[in-house]
Amino acid sequence: MATSKPKKKTIRTIPQERARMLVQASTQRVENFEEVALGFELDDALNESERCLLCPDPACVAGCPVAIDIVGFIENITLGNYRRSYDILTDANLLPAICGRVCPQEDQCEGVCPVGQTLEPVAIGRLERWVGDLALAKGWSNEPYIEPNGFKVGIVGSGPAGIACAADMAKTGCDVTVFEALHAPGGVLRYGIPEFRLPNRVVDAEMQNLTRLGVKFECNTLVGRLFTVEQMLSDLGFHTVFIGSGAGSPKFMDIPGESLHGVLSANELLTRCNLMGAGDFPRHDTPLDLGDRIAVIGSGNTAMDAMRVALRLGAEKVCCVYRRTRDESPAREEEISHAEEEGIEFHWLTAPVEILGNENGNVRAMRCVRMELGEPDESGRRRPVEIEGSEYEFEADTVVYAIGTNANPVLGQTSKLKLNQWGYLEVDENLATSMAGVYAGGDIVTGAATVILAMGLGRQAADSMKSYLGIRDTENVYRPQQRGCEGKLFGIDLEEKNFTRLRLA
Amino acid sequence: MKNLPKPVVQTSDQAQTIPQAPGATAGYPITGRVDFSDSTYLLDVYHPMLSKAAAPGQFVIVISHEYGERIPLTIADYDRDQGTITLVVQAVGKTTREMQQLCKPGFNLFSVVGPLGFPTDLGNARKVICVGGGLGVAPVYPQLRAFKTAGAYVIGVVGFRNQDLIFWEDKFKRYCDEFIVCTDDGSAGIKGLVTEGIKWAVKHHDDIDRVVAIGPPIMMKACAETTRPLGIETIVSLNPIMVDGTGMCGGCRVKVAGKTKFACVDGPEFNGHDVDFDDLITRLKRFRAYEEQAANTWCQGRKSAP
Repeated sequence: MATSKPKKKTIRTIPQERARMLVQASTQRVENFEEVALGFELDDALNESERCLLCPDPACVAGCPVAIDIVGFIENITLGNYRRSYDILTDANLLPAICGRVCPQEDQCEGVCPVGQTLEPVAIGRLERWVGDLALAKGWSNEPYIEPNGFKVGIVGSGPAGIACAADMAKTGCDVTVFEALHAPGGVLRYGIPEFRLPNRVVDAEMQNLTRLGVKFECNTLVGRLFTVEQMLSDLGFHTVFIGSGAGSPKFMDIPGESLHGVLSANELLTRCNLMGAGDFPRHDTPLDLGDRIAVIGSGNTAMDAMRVALRLGAEKVCCVYRRTRDESPAREEEISHAEEEGIEFHWLTAPVEILGNENGNVRAMRCVRMELGEPDESGRRRPVEIEGSEYEFEADTVVYAIGTNANPVLGQTSKLKLNQWGYLEVDENLATSMAGVYAGGDIVTGAATVILAMGLGRQAADSMKSYLGIRDTENVYRPQQRGCEGKLFGIDLEEKNFTRLRLA
Repeated sequence: MKNLPKPVVQTSDQAQTIPQAPGATAGYPITGRVDFSDSTYLLDVYHPMLSKAAAPGQFVIVISHEYGERIPLTIADYDRDQGTITLVVQAVGKTTREMQQLCKPGFNLFSVVGPLGFPTDLGNARKVICVGGGLGVAPVYPQLRAFKTAGAYVIGVVGFRNQDLIFWEDKFKRYCDEFIVCTDDGSAGIKGLVTEGIKWAVKHHDDIDRVVAIGPPIMMKACAETTRPLGIETIVSLNPIMVDGTGMCGGCRVKVAGKTKFACVDGPEFNGHDVDFDDLITRLKRFRAYEEQAANTWCQGRKSAP
């Protein structure tokens, strides 16, 4: 753009202080399910956008899994072109209001922001959220002119990976149908991430934007059982299929006492509360059996969500029990400090070895041991080692497991897709599975990860699917045909991925 | 059809103004209903794709209305020509009693997802006893039919409290080489529990290679204990508390041969000799207090409703 750029900004000329975002007071917010972080006001957004140095070769874009033109969207905030800013965001990411809330920006764009070397980095995530919220408030949506290309694309799972892929495919003109096993779309955005971090109205609104692109959602459909992936390609006539079914099968520890009443997975707690409205029992029919003293095992983002939900549902005391320390904890720093502010107790270097029950079959306590950190393990984190003779009783009437997930077995049971040794789908570098025309991304490929990583893989798979369908990809530079036999077999380019499927009548 | 009746106990509030999420269906229509007794009723649900995919042994998860809970129900039959599946429901708690009132032809169930779980593995069984008791009578029917169609010699054993509760006798007889009814009070067939029926059958046949038992956990436990000393393979279908039914929540975990299994994706059928039934029975009581509260609130709401 040939707009007159303001004078070159330097680290000295930009506002030194990061704009503060209002949050609900911790004493107040534990009483409700309203959002904790209230977002920027216009002034905050303008101030914060001034802090961007508009680097010519921005590190943040490279740090973003979906490669948003971050500099572009921030510059347009500064210029007052909010709509243009939204357009730039939605070029790469249709869900800015969601990603601005749940991305771990400190490890991605903000983590590599050069401003962060001297000052606090530019609050890219909060700016993204501000633009996303503004668009929802103004009712903006981008409906590009889409020329139908006749291809049918089936997407398994309406979580982050699935919808990112769906959006990209729909924009190229494909007829996209997203299948969801639950009765409402959104996957982890719906059942997992609680209302106070990501309100359902934001999920609904951003999903509506997808339907404007022509994406169709089919809920109550468990692919694999209602029809198989193979049948999607044959009977249902999909030309290509993307699988983003998520990891989702909760792990337990196999210690004694796990059958007691009051032992449940964080997934179950969150699903009952977020999807089924258990907090509003008996108006909603789904109950949730939380006690007064809740121990959540694990210290990832799911654990934080589970603890903070339990607190809001009225638990007297909520504790986090983790066998390593805060430094090794996989949760975002912001989540841990929010949880601490709300009065959650952290018990680091503690591991349960048995869950103890009373005569009614309810949990009454856990038998725990204290740990210390030993040598680093494969993950690079120091391995926790039990301190001998350190056993003690930890009082709790509810034990929630948030120690990770295993691969969901349904697709493995019902299709010939190749799995790796842990049960996740095996894919090549283009995210192609072992079945021609079937691609996969998200947690079912990587194991439990973040929303934005899943979206990144969804988009990457969409690129592969476009080239599989032979749709010209404008982001790809097509090289002129090479002479000679190098890289070719019978004159066919080895990099070409073309399959012919015969449909038998 | 958009005439979803609202649950009886309910105050109006903003929940209804939330825009409908994309992908929400117009519901799954009920096309038929038969009442077997004042607590047991049969529903035909129109879902052509599901009727095509369903196989014996599988189940569905049903939500009756927008505020409803997800309940697992075993598929009792399916008609691929009509495009329907059949569910037989026993009104025991709030949801199933409410469904008894709401679910008439013309009503749309809010959600039906399935078929879930592994279909029955018919194996090479040549002579089987199919046992159904209580709410397990209907679910055992498609299995029994599948065994018969596969060429096995089928002995059907069904248990009811008394003569008046008996249903589907003709349907069963059509696919049974022998059919034994057991009633608690002896008003029809053998007096006693279904285990008496099993004992009678094994006394007259020494070459039975499989028993399939579906019903309340206590009944399945008794069946498994009856066959254990005889060494007859016994398959049971478990019905623990579930939320999603797709392997995501772990609420339906059961202990089988000392290992934790999820009934929704690893089952619902397991070897009855390996199942820890006491564990299952305890875990089924997990929400008892809430179930009672829900039922009471609902009953009061009905009384006060116009």
